[in-house]
Amino acid sequence: MRPILLQGHERSLTQIKYNKDGDLLFSTAKDHVICAWYSVNGERLGTYHGHQGALWTVDIDPTSTLLATGAADNTIKIWDVKTGKSLKTWDFPTAVKRVEFSEDGTLLLAVTEARMGFLGTLVVFPIIVDVEAQQADAPLFTITFRESKATVAAWSYLNKYIITGHEDGSVSQYDGKSGELIQDIQAHEIGTAGQITDIQMAPDRTYFVTASKDKTAKIIDVDNLKVLKTFVTDTPLNTAALTPKKDFVILGGGQEARDVTTTSQRQGKFEARFYHKIFEDEIGRVRGHFGPLNTIAVHPQGTGYASGGEDGYVRVHHFDKPYFDFTYEVERMKA
Amino acid sequence: MPDTSRANWADDEEFDDPTVLPPQQVLSNPDGTKTIITFRFNDAGKKIKTTRKIRTTIVKEHVNPRVAERKEWSKFGAEKGHARGPDLSTTSVGENIVFRPSSNWKSSNKEESKEEDSLRDQLKDKKVACRICKGDHFTARCPFKDTLPPLDDVAASGAGAGDSGNAAEDVGGLGMTKGSYVAPHLRGKKGAGETMGGGNFKDRDDLATLRVTNVSEFAEENDLRDMFERFGRVTRVFLAKDRETGRAKGFAFISFADRSDAARACEKMDGFGYGHLILRVEFAKKSA
Repeated sequence: MRPILLQGHERSLTQIKYNKDGDLLFSTAKDHVICAWYSVNGERLGTYHGHQGALWTVDIDPTSTLLATGAADNTIKIWDVKTGKSLKTWDFPTAVKRVEFSEDGTLLLAVTEARMGFLGTLVVFPIIVDVEAQQADAPLFTITFRESKATVAAWSYLNKYIITGHEDGSVSQYDGKSGELIQDIQAHEIGTAGQITDIQMAPDRTYFVTASKDKTAKIIDVDNLKVLKTFVTDTPLNTAALTPKKDFVILGGGQEARDVTTTSQRQGKFEARFYHKIFEDEIGRVRGHFGPLNTIAVHPQGTGYASGGEDGYVRVHHFDKPYFDFTYEVERMKA
Repeated sequence: MPDTSRANWADDEEFDDPTVLPPQQVLSNPDGTKTIITFRFNDAGKKIKTTRKIRTTIVKEHVNPRVAERKEWSKFGAEKGHARGPDLSTTSVGENIVFRPSSNWKSSNKEESKEEDSLRDQLKDKKVACRICKGDHFTARCPFKDTLPPLDDVAASGAGAGDSGNAAEDVGGLGMTKGSYVAPHLRGKKGAGETMGGGNFKDRDDLATLRVTNVSEFAEENDLRDMFERFGRVTRVFLAKDRETGRAKGFAFISFADRSDAARACEKMDGFGYGHLILRVEFAKKSA
């Protein structure tokens, strides 16, 4: 496995995303540009200029027409994927930490930061998946978090629920149509030690994986918020991803960015960890980054994955044969 | 493959111009490959014949039409106007990573880290000791460097250090290879500096330890243990391994619980064929 190194950013990566066909890869970092790459060979397709602050999040609609980004300049921007032109800007009082298109691309959720007296919110915008269309100015509805702010959020299947992960380690389920709270659970350690850093949905969006600062990742059912699997690691996690085709989970983390200079690379645990989704066993690690892993995205066809680190690099990996050949004995017996 | 074919004077029918190169030849082979023979001059002015065998295969890849269309998109932003293909300033290929998922990854990896920890523990209160006079300076700085020969049997002492743990084993292993050559006049008798040695190596029981040399580099400690366990209880097997490749270096130490077992094993196993090589077994030399 020879990773492709993408050096398009000058600062640490914040999120990377594949489009639905898996041929394009989008990366955002704390420098103010978004990069689009061809995932197959690492060629850069282009950059999107316009944000004034660090970018926190990126998402691409299922047809690869529109790109949404959220940044520390308190805006969400919608871009034309093909030309790199900015189509729409929504302003907020605080930074935008997470955006995500719904499964059909007609809705966009955004999580805003709680800062300067403003409470954290989650807003949902209607989206017309067309470059020419005029996007609506006002959100469909807004959820305000009175207790603990949300850090991440995701859509369930058929836009039925919105799942939010919170700073205090709890996971909440909101109605996708009205924005009403249905239930919440304390999925991770209580308090900021259990802060949820990432939520990624399974391909069918019936369950999701969370990553938390409490060094665990959990697979949780979308409908009843039941914790199905727990993956225990020895380092705070920044990201977790599910792999299609093989039943694996990829976790990324490493100690806090501020502690990096005081620890060696070996101790730093800057590796992508592969766990078996069913057996919860660690099955391998992939080295490479020399800073914590901030974000991991898996190719929608399960043929590879990309990781973005605090070191400013994106590493695109295409899995080779041993990865696909690996099975547990019980799996082999069944086959 | 480049091949220097110096013109043989006997082949020269006429005195043709040596600066003229024969034309390129392309031969089609029956197996579908092509052989291309070209000639050129290298920097030293010699004629170089290059023969290349080429097989052309056409790989067709089917992609989604949407993907194919996106492949044709022109670049924008910072990449505007750039030609197609990865740009070396933003895209590079990293070093190869061997990634083999395994179900017992954790257990195998834990041992490694434990070993590392023990190594750290071992080295924590380790002091620099001169190999010549056991003073707390480097051997190279020893005041007796030129007057006293170093400790005679570094090999055996290295194995002895291995008794106390993996860490010391490695250290000893290095010392061993370094000190494996013994000057002829020192062979078989004690070196002058040896009486000064000893130190913590002294309290080691070498009586029932065998030194096995000419071991195959694919040998495993367990194989050795199996082989020698026939003669009695084996308390320790140490197979020196190369740190980088993990392959055996070609020698091992086998400690028996009983010296008579060791003696028997020594007698029987010396000259025993193992892994295409003939083992040489002898008693490990006593250090100091």
